[in-house]
Amino acid sequence: MKDSLVLLARVPAHPDSRCWFLAWNPAGTLLASCGGDRRVRIWGTEGESWICKSVLSEGHQRTVRKVAWSPCGNYLASASFDATTCIWKKNQDDFECVTTLEGHENEVKSVAWAPSGNLLATCSRDKSVWVWEVDEEDEYECVSVLNSHTQDVKHVVWHPSQELLASASYDDTVKLYREEEDDWVCYATLEGHESTVWSLAFDPSGQRLASCSDDRTVRIWRQYLPDNEQGVACSGSDPSWKCICTLSGFHSRTIYDVAWCQLTGALATACGDDAIRVFEEDPSSDPQQPTFSLTAHLPQAHSQDVNCVAWNPKEQGLLASCSDDGEVAFWKYQRPEGI
Amino acid sequence: MKVDKSTGSGMAKIHIEEDGSYFQVRQDGGTQKLEKAKISLGDCLACSGCVTSAETVLITQQSHEELRKILDANKTAAPSQQRLVVVSVSPQSRASLAARFQLTPTDTAKKLTAFFKKIGVHYVFDTAFSRNFSLLESQREFVQRFRGQASSTQTLPVLTSACPGWICYAEKTHGSFLVPHLSTARSPQQVMGSLVKDFFAQQQHLTPDRIYHVTVMPCYDKKLEASRPDFFSQEHQTRDVDCVVTTGEVFKLLEEEGVSLSELEPAPLDSLCNGASAQEPTSHRGGGSGGYLEHVFRHAARELFGIHVDEVTYRPLRNKDFQEVTLEKEGRILLHFAAAYGFRNIQNLVQKLKRGRCPYHYVEVMACPAGCLNGGGQLKGPSTTSKELLQHVQMLYDTVTVQVPEDAPGVQELYEHWLQGEGSERAGRLLHTSYRAVEMASSGLSIRWRPEVPRGPRTSPWAQVCDQCSLYCLETQVRPRPVGSLRQSESGIPPPHSWSHPCQTGGEPSGPGRQGTLAREECAAHSTPRWGWRTCPTWNWALKTPWSLGPDSLHFCAVPGRKQALLERPREIRC
Repeated sequence: MKDSLVLLARVPAHPDSRCWFLAWNPAGTLLASCGGDRRVRIWGTEGESWICKSVLSEGHQRTVRKVAWSPCGNYLASASFDATTCIWKKNQDDFECVTTLEGHENEVKSVAWAPSGNLLATCSRDKSVWVWEVDEEDEYECVSVLNSHTQDVKHVVWHPSQELLASASYDDTVKLYREEEDDWVCYATLEGHESTVWSLAFDPSGQRLASCSDDRTVRIWRQYLPDNEQGVACSGSDPSWKCICTLSGFHSRTIYDVAWCQLTGALATACGDDAIRVFEEDPSSDPQQPTFSLTAHLPQAHSQDVNCVAWNPKEQGLLASCSDDGEVAFWKYQRPEGI
Repeated sequence: MKVDKSTGSGMAKIHIEEDGSYFQVRQDGGTQKLEKAKISLGDCLACSGCVTSAETVLITQQSHEELRKILDANKTAAPSQQRLVVVSVSPQSRASLAARFQLTPTDTAKKLTAFFKKIGVHYVFDTAFSRNFSLLESQREFVQRFRGQASSTQTLPVLTSACPGWICYAEKTHGSFLVPHLSTARSPQQVMGSLVKDFFAQQQHLTPDRIYHVTVMPCYDKKLEASRPDFFSQEHQTRDVDCVVTTGEVFKLLEEEGVSLSELEPAPLDSLCNGASAQEPTSHRGGGSGGYLEHVFRHAARELFGIHVDEVTYRPLRNKDFQEVTLEKEGRILLHFAAAYGFRNIQNLVQKLKRGRCPYHYVEVMACPAGCLNGGGQLKGPSTTSKELLQHVQMLYDTVTVQVPEDAPGVQELYEHWLQGEGSERAGRLLHTSYRAVEMASSGLSIRWRPEVPRGPRTSPWAQVCDQCSLYCLETQVRPRPVGSLRQSESGIPPPHSWSHPCQTGGEPSGPGRQGTLAREECAAHSTPRWGWRTCPTWNWALKTPWSLGPDSLHFCAVPGRKQALLERPREIRC
């Protein structure tokens, strides 16, 4: 299992601070990283090695917690503890901060672009999730302020194809939102985790959602529409979400990130025990009750907590990870034989 | 306290002496005593995660129970000590009660009057009367500001200020930027305060402090408005409005009295001055939040451009709580007004303003989506959906006959005799107010940054913490919260230490000055008492004592001599 995850390169992305998050651009050619040094760095390949192509400084006054590329790849959003979200526009190798989204009362913990490209979601320690809309002139307007969570909201993620938003919070729940008339509403709450839910990832089809938590489990949830074949009860016209799989006992510490490869369906996790793990669904398992096997486990992937794992959207098996030690590592994952 | 950043990354261990002092043991074996963190109340981030502050206290100080107390006191007090109790009911509260009891607004007004008088209130007025003044002053103010645009002192757009929820937000965030735009005209509640405590008091030959003025409002923020220092008379040591009760609190009063509003005999309506003795309540055009946009628009069109506007056409923008109105002539936009209700629209408006991209001359701003009829203090329906109920309340509100403020009986006389003319000094003092930017104790952005935290893989997160109770958060890089002074017991196990923690812990609210204790838990491995850890919900970090941590992370045990053995790599608690 050790050979299924091979180190390709390691770069000291954010020296003397921690690297919080990574995001591949939709083309898979650039990797954005952000960290406690208040900077965002863009990495690209030059031959065999990874070099820093741009440094986005002067954007934030505090740690940058998350970065996200727009679906077109021309914009990058960075969420920071200074309560703002910067939108950067890409101009070849240069990035220019075109606008700053303000309004959150305190640290912004996550930002995500909707697949349509004209909606953005941010969430914050102020327990709210904001939905923003961008128009043709790059003007951003707040469309909705959602106060469904009772605690710090850690992560927001959009459904890969529908206009559906999911958020994970310190209140141990995952909430799902959709647009109804002229406002956004929370239409489902996923309970089950016993501690902070740190991150979320939709599977390539968008039918399942993976969540990882401080309770050291990864849960897979599935959406059941009204009148579904499996006979899962739904209230009215709202879909119902059920936890169909729990991966427990694999992680010895908090799981900070989960990433679902859109090409292969492999699930990678970033854990506080410095390890990276990859799971694959058993092909023979029942789709309603899937089983996942651990196909890769690298105990000392980093020298400190692994904060983020990100699959390259175009190159199969290319995985990037970052850690509290400020380093970004690139890995090649190969599904082991005989699984 | 100055903390020097340690150079290099190396494994550092923490050794705790028997006396509770901490020593850092470096790789070379050398030790260094770690200083105690000194924390003061200045470190409080005023995150308002705890049971705070003035606002909550203010709100609880005014309630229907307060009204009860005054009424009861009146019953037993000597005539010279009795207070004249006046209740002013808002049209929105009345509409909400009408919907609940299936009555017309007129009947509701009359039966409410009967009810209040039954429990000892002397006069019951309608704030629609004082709203006339608020609207007239708003109209005049806008025309003045519009005309004065050439001189830089006049700032457009004018933003309404009748909604205290909006004012609280505006003063606290972007205060210095927004305050110059706010309309200085008082809200109907506060104009009523002037009317009752100045005009009516004179009429009754009473000093203002002998009158107890209660208003019935659709929201709780009106209580904050009534408590503003600007509405407190130093001379008479009395507030213009002594107590605000919400519609819901009136409903509670009715329940406590065992009275159903519909069963009461209607009583004749009171009026503030003889000219206004109608037997039917009146209202204004322009929606359930006072009609500011509508009135100022029509007045400005007439005054500034000589255009008479019959019907004001509202055009909804991105959502139904954001509407625009324009006055156009020959393709040119003469007036561009808007109504922005609800937080998301206020956000967008403020951002537009900040970027200098606000095209409006006047904006009616309300904090509640759908306006005052949907206020937080309105009655909730027992059976209908909130949407249907709101529609019903709106429909009832709209059935009340509307009046133009200029023509409302009694208004012109009061301007003449009580205020000595429109635009007079008295009118300015009694019908206007002022606002000021509030500096938050510390918002997230204005935090005074603490000295650099030593980084490095193995630096203990307890390096800068109180030696009894470790409170630290690395993610937000903020130092511990105040924990008060702590003593050590002889056995080395910390006593259930009293501490003032301004933050909520273990579900027990503990405000400033209140004492809380950490819960005791038994250490499973050693069956020795240890202090359990709770998570502070505001800062999301574990309140740890040196004696314990959460499951399977660093575990200290109170058993002497065992501490070293159990020491693992110090685990920071991530928030």
